[in-house]
Amino acid sequence: MGKPLSRERRNTLLGLAFLSPNILGFLAFTVIPLVFSFFLAFTNWDLKLHNAFKNEPIQFAFLSNFLRLLRDGEFYQYLGNTLFLMMNIPLAIAGSLGAALLLSKDMRGGSPRVRHWLIVSAALLLSVAALCLVGLHAGAFVILLSGLAGLMLFGGVLGGSTLYRTVFFIPHFTSGVAVFILWKKLYNPSNGPVNNALARPLLALGRAINATPPGVIRAGLAVSLALAVALALWGLTRLLRMSRDGALGTAAAALPLAMLLAPCVAMALCCPHRPVGRVVGLLTLAVALGLIIAECLRGRDFPARPSQGFGDAFMLALLLMLAQLILLGLGSVAYGLPEQAADGLEPPAWLSVYDWAKPAIMIMGLWGAIGSNNMLLYLAGLSNIPAELYEAADIDGASRFQRFWHITWPQLAPVTFFIFIMSVIGGLQGGFEMARTMTNGGPAGSTTTLSYFIYTQGFSTGRLGYASGIAWVLFAMVFTVTLFNWKFGSRYVND
Amino acid sequence: MSTTEASFEPVAPAARRGTAGTVTGSSASRFLRTGLLHLLLVALGFTFALPFVWMILTSLKPLDEVGLDAWLPMNLDFRWGNYGEVFHVIPFARFYWNSIFIAAWVTFLQVFTSSLAAFSFSRIPWRGRDRVFLLYLATMMLPGLVMMIPNYQIMIKLRLVDSYVGLILPAAFSAFGTFLLRQFMLTIPTSLDEAAEIDGASKWQVYWDVILPLCRPGLITLTIFTFIGNYHSFFWPLVMLKTVDKYTLPIGLLFFDSTRGQTTNLLMAAVTMSVVPMIVLFVLLQRYLVRGIQLGAVKG
Repeated sequence: MGKPLSRERRNTLLGLAFLSPNILGFLAFTVIPLVFSFFLAFTNWDLKLHNAFKNEPIQFAFLSNFLRLLRDGEFYQYLGNTLFLMMNIPLAIAGSLGAALLLSKDMRGGSPRVRHWLIVSAALLLSVAALCLVGLHAGAFVILLSGLAGLMLFGGVLGGSTLYRTVFFIPHFTSGVAVFILWKKLYNPSNGPVNNALARPLLALGRAINATPPGVIRAGLAVSLALAVALALWGLTRLLRMSRDGALGTAAAALPLAMLLAPCVAMALCCPHRPVGRVVGLLTLAVALGLIIAECLRGRDFPARPSQGFGDAFMLALLLMLAQLILLGLGSVAYGLPEQAADGLEPPAWLSVYDWAKPAIMIMGLWGAIGSNNMLLYLAGLSNIPAELYEAADIDGASRFQRFWHITWPQLAPVTFFIFIMSVIGGLQGGFEMARTMTNGGPAGSTTTLSYFIYTQGFSTGRLGYASGIAWVLFAMVFTVTLFNWKFGSRYVND
Repeated sequence: MSTTEASFEPVAPAARRGTAGTVTGSSASRFLRTGLLHLLLVALGFTFALPFVWMILTSLKPLDEVGLDAWLPMNLDFRWGNYGEVFHVIPFARFYWNSIFIAAWVTFLQVFTSSLAAFSFSRIPWRGRDRVFLLYLATMMLPGLVMMIPNYQIMIKLRLVDSYVGLILPAAFSAFGTFLLRQFMLTIPTSLDEAAEIDGASKWQVYWDVILPLCRPGLITLTIFTFIGNYHSFFWPLVMLKTVDKYTLPIGLLFFDSTRGQTTNLLMAAVTMSVVPMIVLFVLLQRYLVRGIQLGAVKG
């Protein structure tokens, strides 16, 4: 063994020896490309200029790639697409939480006796259904579907939540090129099953719309504008109250405030029905400004610590912003309905039209995201909530909603925050596979996300320097979110 | 993150079932509520499964019935031959083999090198170790895209474009695997390897005979995740592969879709054949997968 010094040296050698296979690969395929890529971002390397036939020297281009990016209209469009698709995230999180709540319930009804009843009645239900199907001379398709549902029910009653969990999880697990191709076929505008199924209900809906006076339906826009404004103002007063109570500092209020008022700004700038939207948006902003100034003049009763209630304020603002955007979208759809319904409503052409391509991708995303890893994380989180908390709530006579709102939701806050951050990081980098397999980024760039943009620049157009520059900008965004997580994540989590 | 300490406690949602959703009330009301819960879950699960039902049924139709409203083929005349035809139209067996071959190599290399590195990071005290480990961690949050462009240029220079080696090597060394196994090894008490060393075991023997067997759950989790991740891997094969015979399944499917996408029935047969193994794999391995994902929460 020898002296301690030689032991230390021996350990270093051994440690490096064990590390060497991994670190060599790590250096070759991570660190070196990373440094290389960083330098690339500052060069004008373009395969159109620098190839076997035309070998101009590669020049150091300082910040020109980044300056060009700032002036590139396409970049903003694709950034907008990426953010638009990310609006799925809160919906997906809510879906995962809902699924996890359902799956965490006791499937056996609390006692073996009830479980036996369940099994017997499931069997009874199935046999009655089978008799009905035979009696009504049901077609093979109906029999197939009812058989599937019956099998699922019987499996669930016998096996408990595992079966349902598996069925929920499979869309996420299989997600990949194969499933995207499947959805492309499902969305086929002329003969896909989605539009085949939608055709008849839409026909009926079109007739109903034609029968009602257009003014009534157009009023839907007014109602949804009013609701969106009411939500924004309600959220604003909540934020102001939090700030007055010392739960939210000025700096920490900035982001929730911006999120809350963003839909109103959007309304004022680019509402599809301009005069109305502009007036309502501007009025709301004026009222909001007035409220904030009044609050500032009044002064605070308690000095606020910088970011104590940030998590709650952020969540509130996020949910309200999403609700407002959904309301605005629904309102403008309702506004246009009478015109469209005049010659009959037809199902949308999904992936082949600009306006519907993104919603189509988002619906597919939700199908895969509800039963995803997030659901499993929520299940684990739910099982870690101490039972005593619920017992105490029961003694206090808490309602089901109160139990959720005051125990489950706060106890799950760390999980929610983690899922949210991971989804945002994934969302910023996402959309490549769907764009490549389903739409090639189209129509007219409506499904091109940043990652697909980098791919086309770097691998189709050959602008290696520019593509690296965009990639580093993307990295900067991801890094900002990570910093945000470090700054607020642990605090929110440990509340 | 601060939560890493508790990371490898077995997470068993079923073990404490009923904390969040304790059922109270009389038997009759419990029966009613649980029954309704089951019906709701069946309805949800049914909706989730519908696209797959359409996929399988369409793969069994003749081509001229694909666009019809009816999901089943006419007269229940199932065309099982569609599945065989896929193998004639495109080299589908070849795609399967490529996918499995590449994923297997990547998985083997990654698990092996990651476990060695994790052993070094968790069991051998050497100077600068923690700083190197931090560097590993830092690269985990880099978007893979940043590295893709230079990596491709490197592959061109090394003449590895369109080769298996060029596909396997960059994927074979992962910071995440190292991190995962290191966390796992840290939960194994050091007294075990100290005892082995007193008995005269070398570091290699400690690694091979003591640590690796104790790490089995972690190794299994990493193996499954790496394999599946690689089976799905899309970007790198897409840019690297040029000859059809070397395509992996995802790239092969994309090729099928873009060249003969009009034959929806055959395309769906191919899609079914690439999705169904995943479903079977999940059902068989779900114990490890679910636990692995719930542990993965800690990776941030």
